[in-house]
Amino acid sequence: MISFRNRLLGGCAAALIALGFAAGGAYAADVTQERLLNADQEAGNWILHHKDFSAHRYATLDQINASTVKNLKVAWTVQLGGIEGGGIWSHGGLEGTPLAEDGFLYVTDGWGSVYKIDTHGGEGKLVWKMDPKTDHDWAGAIACCGVDNRGVALWGDMVISHTLDGRLVATDKESGKVLWQRQIANPDKGEVVTGAPLVVKGMAITGVAGAEYGIRGWIAATDLKTHAEVWRTYTIPAKGEPGSETWKDDHNAAANGGGSTWVTGSYDPSTNTIVWGVGNPGPDWDSAYRPGDNLYTDSSLAVDADTGRIKWHFQHTPNDPYDYDSVAENVLADVNGPHGAMKIALEADRNGIGYAVDRNTGKFIWATPFVKKLTWTKGVNPETGKPMEYDASKGQQIYNPEATPTRTNKVTIICPGNMGGKNWPPTAYNPKLQTWYIPVIESCNKVTVEETVPGKSYKSREFFTGGGPSNPIKITGSVTAIDAATGKITGKLETPFPMLGGLLATPDLVFAGQPDGHVMALDAKTLAKLWDFNTGGGVSAPPMTFSVDGKQYIALLVGQGGAWDKWFIDGTPELKKIAPSSTLYVFGL
Amino acid sequence: MRRDGNTRGPSLLVRGLFVLAALLAVTAGIARAQPPAPSPADLELGKKLYRTNCAGCHKWHGNGGGGYGGDALSLRHTTLDREQIITTIGCGRPSTGMPYHLRDAYEGDEKKCYGLGPSDLSPGMVLAANAFLRPSEIGIIADYVLARVKGRGEPGYDDCLEFFGTGSRVCNIFKSPVEGGPAAAPPGK
Repeated sequence: MISFRNRLLGGCAAALIALGFAAGGAYAADVTQERLLNADQEAGNWILHHKDFSAHRYATLDQINASTVKNLKVAWTVQLGGIEGGGIWSHGGLEGTPLAEDGFLYVTDGWGSVYKIDTHGGEGKLVWKMDPKTDHDWAGAIACCGVDNRGVALWGDMVISHTLDGRLVATDKESGKVLWQRQIANPDKGEVVTGAPLVVKGMAITGVAGAEYGIRGWIAATDLKTHAEVWRTYTIPAKGEPGSETWKDDHNAAANGGGSTWVTGSYDPSTNTIVWGVGNPGPDWDSAYRPGDNLYTDSSLAVDADTGRIKWHFQHTPNDPYDYDSVAENVLADVNGPHGAMKIALEADRNGIGYAVDRNTGKFIWATPFVKKLTWTKGVNPETGKPMEYDASKGQQIYNPEATPTRTNKVTIICPGNMGGKNWPPTAYNPKLQTWYIPVIESCNKVTVEETVPGKSYKSREFFTGGGPSNPIKITGSVTAIDAATGKITGKLETPFPMLGGLLATPDLVFAGQPDGHVMALDAKTLAKLWDFNTGGGVSAPPMTFSVDGKQYIALLVGQGGAWDKWFIDGTPELKKIAPSSTLYVFGL
Repeated sequence: MRRDGNTRGPSLLVRGLFVLAALLAVTAGIARAQPPAPSPADLELGKKLYRTNCAGCHKWHGNGGGGYGGDALSLRHTTLDREQIITTIGCGRPSTGMPYHLRDAYEGDEKKCYGLGPSDLSPGMVLAANAFLRPSEIGIIADYVLARVKGRGEPGYDDCLEFFGTGSRVCNIFKSPVEGGPAAAPPGK
């Protein structure tokens, strides 16, 4: 698949990095493991979904800084497609992070079309569009939470992408021609794919969505040379495997136990470990159906990159009755603080609590609630990292009884709401300041429990949730900053709407978008708002930055995506006026 | 026709309200005289409108059920007649997740929905739909529900094809039910 010319160029790129030419951002070369390992040093490029394997979403570019950001304005836009509906969805949306390499951007729309855009010369020019012809109804009828695709990966001379209907697609970077594709998830079983692939050592790592449809979750690795599956690790253990003892029912609840993996994870090359978040158990709200801790749902999972073997896990909400996913990315950071030097994994959980664990062992270090209102637990046990009320002797966990949905407490207000204190939108981490920024949904919502009946309630391609949420309470948001060494909150900028798009950190700024269309730049230390622009469309995607022709830009996809306008809009009725759209915005000085 | 956050059936009081409302609806002029039988084109439009406005919670097959849309009621098992369906779509169901689709359902002094006006409503008692519908569109949705959904048994392959057509693999599971195990679809080109 990779030509001699490309191998030669790849070698040259590695040499350039070694010689310290990386900051120039000129790489006419294939993407290699060496380049990905040093992705943070390619200042003008953004060649991994989270910028680097550590998921920092931190760029060192600093032309746009606290002094100059007031002059930031729209440089150019490109209208994209994928706005059409399918299945139960009336429209597609944009949740992707653009990748940037040598002045070319690679972006996706919700249905998985990939666009290559030439940014040289101060404008955006479409080079090609690859439409994978996603089966809209097959996938859209079982996509619980929107028509979403969060971006591509780069490897060799290929652009690697997913489709909602479960395919992995390799596209020639130059021509836009599809080189090969492989069906990796099965929508007939309720599986869809929304996350961006993570390429590690020539393998594309894929996560799956579908816990609301009774899937058994997995993470899979595909060899990009042979197109064959290398490993597939199920997030719900099979009978007899470690962790299977945490499914204590007598009706094989694990078979439909959920544990989705729909957010791109991170990779620690020093231990060859992939760290990936795992979602909620199914059915979401009827925890009595599945007594036990329900491993590895609601966990951060560390697996060997070569084999998929599970190395460690850390579970946040055992026997979850709330839909408090832990699919969030794990941010890998080296911090110095009162506890000395630590190699940690940071995870902002849907349960409203931020966690730090030792990323070599999964051992708990600290936990900090990052939402204003948290009612489901009194707090986290500082020794174990488990919720205070957790009782290992019980099959069904009752945390705060008043805020725990059960078959006898059928209608309950929970805080945070089931969409979580932080959903998929990625955090950002400034390693110089050791500050971790979380895009927060400040919410409560109402959950109604419906009893799940063994042998009757599960039906292929039908919701398997054990109830449902509603949103009678106003929902807002915040950007919350946490000292990664101590876990202490250092700042909170409250926002009128929930943070549905994710963050970008630069040396002295944090960028964020809002679902009402506003994009803003904040001071990295104080979170004071330094710049604001109304794009006129809903922002449900993370900002990123790149440089071309010696100039720094901020790029952001604008187009209301996800599930908010279908399932959660009653908590933010003002957002009903936001129309679907599909635009790439690029800002420059 | 969206979500119903309350999984229990409506209380006796609410049920009584609906019966009363149905009667009021006739006299208040929301209900119309029985129109001509819908044409095939009307039913296709009804399906399109149903798909956009109702299928998220009531599902493509109309059986409703749990999920993110709440416990929407089954339209396959409904006993509502055309006028009652029109009232329910237009006025929603107070204190449930079923939103109203008539823009002015609760505006003005007419109290055209269940005898309720703006001053009778507590916050969150009625939910507005994301997109409002014209009365004629509501009627066409009701015609679609009566012709293609109400009274039908468990959804099957033919129902699925009728809704989605043959251009998608969405109905395959009715021909080849899926067993457990890993995704087995072959590599494609």
